[in-house]
Amino acid sequence: MFSTTARQRAAALLHARAYSTAKPSIKLVAELRKRTEVSIAKAHEALAATSNDIPAALAWLEKDLQVTGLAKAAKVQDRATGQGLVGVSVLSRGPEGAAPADAVRGGLRAAIVELNCETDFVARNELFARLLADIAHTATFITDPAPGSNADPKLIRPVPTDALLDAPLLSASDPNTTAGKALATVASAIRDLTAKVGEKISLSRAAAVAREPPVPLSTRALRLAHYLHGSVGRPTQGRIGGLVATSLAAPTLVELLGREAFRADLDKLERALARQVVGFETSAIRAAEKDETALYQQPFMMYPGANGETVEAVLRRWAQEHGLVSEVEGKPQGGIEVLDFARWTVGVYN
Amino acid sequence: MDANSDVTAARRGYADVSKYSRAKPHLNIGTIGHVDHGKTTLTAAITKVLAEEGGAKFTDYAEIDKAPEEKARGITINSAHIEYESSARHYGHIDCPGHADYIKNMITGAAQMDGAIVVVSATDGQMPQTREHLLLARQVGVKKLVVFINKVDMIQDTEMLELVDMEMRDLLSTYNFDGENTPIIMGSALAALEGRDEEIGKKKVLELVQACDEWLDIPTRDLDKPFLLPIEDVFSIAGRGTVVTGRAERGTINKGDEVEIIGLGTKIKTTLTGIESFHKELDRGEAGDNMGALIRGIKREEVKRGQVMIAPGSIKAVKSFQAQIYVLTKDEGGRYTPFMASYQPQVFIRTADISTSLQWPEGTPDAQDKMVMPGDNVEMVCNLFHDVAAEPGTRFTIREGGRTIGTGIVTKILEYA
Repeated sequence: MFSTTARQRAAALLHARAYSTAKPSIKLVAELRKRTEVSIAKAHEALAATSNDIPAALAWLEKDLQVTGLAKAAKVQDRATGQGLVGVSVLSRGPEGAAPADAVRGGLRAAIVELNCETDFVARNELFARLLADIAHTATFITDPAPGSNADPKLIRPVPTDALLDAPLLSASDPNTTAGKALATVASAIRDLTAKVGEKISLSRAAAVAREPPVPLSTRALRLAHYLHGSVGRPTQGRIGGLVATSLAAPTLVELLGREAFRADLDKLERALARQVVGFETSAIRAAEKDETALYQQPFMMYPGANGETVEAVLRRWAQEHGLVSEVEGKPQGGIEVLDFARWTVGVYN
Repeated sequence: MDANSDVTAARRGYADVSKYSRAKPHLNIGTIGHVDHGKTTLTAAITKVLAEEGGAKFTDYAEIDKAPEEKARGITINSAHIEYESSARHYGHIDCPGHADYIKNMITGAAQMDGAIVVVSATDGQMPQTREHLLLARQVGVKKLVVFINKVDMIQDTEMLELVDMEMRDLLSTYNFDGENTPIIMGSALAALEGRDEEIGKKKVLELVQACDEWLDIPTRDLDKPFLLPIEDVFSIAGRGTVVTGRAERGTINKGDEVEIIGLGTKIKTTLTGIESFHKELDRGEAGDNMGALIRGIKREEVKRGQVMIAPGSIKAVKSFQAQIYVLTKDEGGRYTPFMASYQPQVFIRTADISTSLQWPEGTPDAQDKMVMPGDNVEMVCNLFHDVAAEPGTRFTIREGGRTIGTGIVTKILEYA
């Protein structure tokens, strides 16, 4: 058992070593580790190679990390990555502002990404969460708006993981982080994390939504909602992730979106849709036959006051009650409709 | 529960037949650490070294590493179980692949960890996820840890070992463990397993076991706890009075002792005037006994199933508690669909069956929206419709329409009856 005397000895050693340049001191190794989270052996090597100069050692480490990361990634490449998190990044979820112009201006821009690792210990770690947030953020940017017409329901499109891995990593929390530094790619950032946590990290899938507002602007809008289940820290990450795209149409849409009460109710409805998709096995929006995995046929359990009504019935009622539907030339026009969704569970692919 | 009865049975007379004498105090420990830091090698090395002393059966790497799926209370858990003994204690050793498996182990009580060995490689030092390892240990109720710094033969500059030691002590303190006094053993599990370099191999493993013996606390044995009998049934026997029956969960009781009966709105004191087990009169009953207890001056209607008979004041009836809950998947026979706060299932605590409302703990973000899905581990508040005896560590199951949908362990009492 290490007693206090051992601690004192270590402290004394620290003191003595701080001024010696012959051998990396414990104190410097400790400091380097605090700043970089590299292994003890690496920190030691970096200081030995740079005569105990911290800035030089940091530069040395940055360079070395590429080599180490590659080596470590190669070593763990055959391992299974059954754990991880699904993360979403939403930059624009459709019209949001109160002013009539804002109300219809917003298009859609968002991404959903699954990042995997070997154990749920790593999946719960902040470094992993930060990397996932950055990758999801990056995925929203590398996707060009799909030209798609109003009628095209396919909004959530797969992002090829190879393309995403080669993309420069954008920081979700701080847009300036990359400034002045060589740009890291998603792939190199993944390798860096592997070097730090010693587990295989893999990007299994990504999808993004990028769409200009529909035309005509005054009567149609696209909206997006998400829900993550099983979050550890961030509400945008979890074990199961759902993204739901809806389309709104109404002759008086600009006016409706301008009302705060309407927008609040809409948020509630959309969030309930996202929770419904996550909470229940959902594989399609509609089905010709009776099918519990078809969203529109499910009892809308996640919508307060649904009283056993199906999702389809609630959407119809909601549209009526909220004035989306009105008679134009004798025919009812307008409504709300689910256009597309994604429901991803960590480790479950189909 | 079954495990308990085995232990008590063995303790009462069969101990001399079994090779692993239950006379030694038993302790469950687990290994926690990064996948490459040698948890499994260390576990194998412990069995090898102790096998040489006659205290274990050597279990090789492959056998431990498999972490077979097992069922505990109908719940699937990945975990490897090994046992060994030192001169002072008998150890049950568990090794799980992930956080969730350790939590399930705790909730079901399949292998409640009383202590843990944290394994850290000397070459890497603690890693970012070491924090998660310590948080887990806290969460499953481990109060004391022993640290094994592995692979010391891979380090040339021995001063670096001091750094590993210091960093580890800092981190332990950060997570409310005793960083100053926690034993940290430095050695090589592989050397011990391969039977080379005895100084860093076998000797260090023995030192580690000794540190476990000396530092990790033995949980109180059921027999040594205050008496508690969950009441299963109540009879009225002509000419004698009221008899309650049940299987004593813990402690011992003597004829003539004062007892208290609590729960379901009742709190009465009485005296035990007779103990009977399998039609024989006893002077003393103890944990594990099925017994009938004759109580003085109490009418049959005053006592009912679900209450407990206890050593006065040893446990209180509660109305609300916080608990760690595992919700069974549909494959485990649980629900198909999620539920939300205010869900009202039945909670079974010992022999009591009580309607409950489940809520998120105060301050949970987005509590309105949060759902619980089959397969989830969650911390929730149980507001009971009737009071029942409970304390932190009390286990229960959650049922709905006669089907078990979850199981839990009380972590905090929020309101007493």
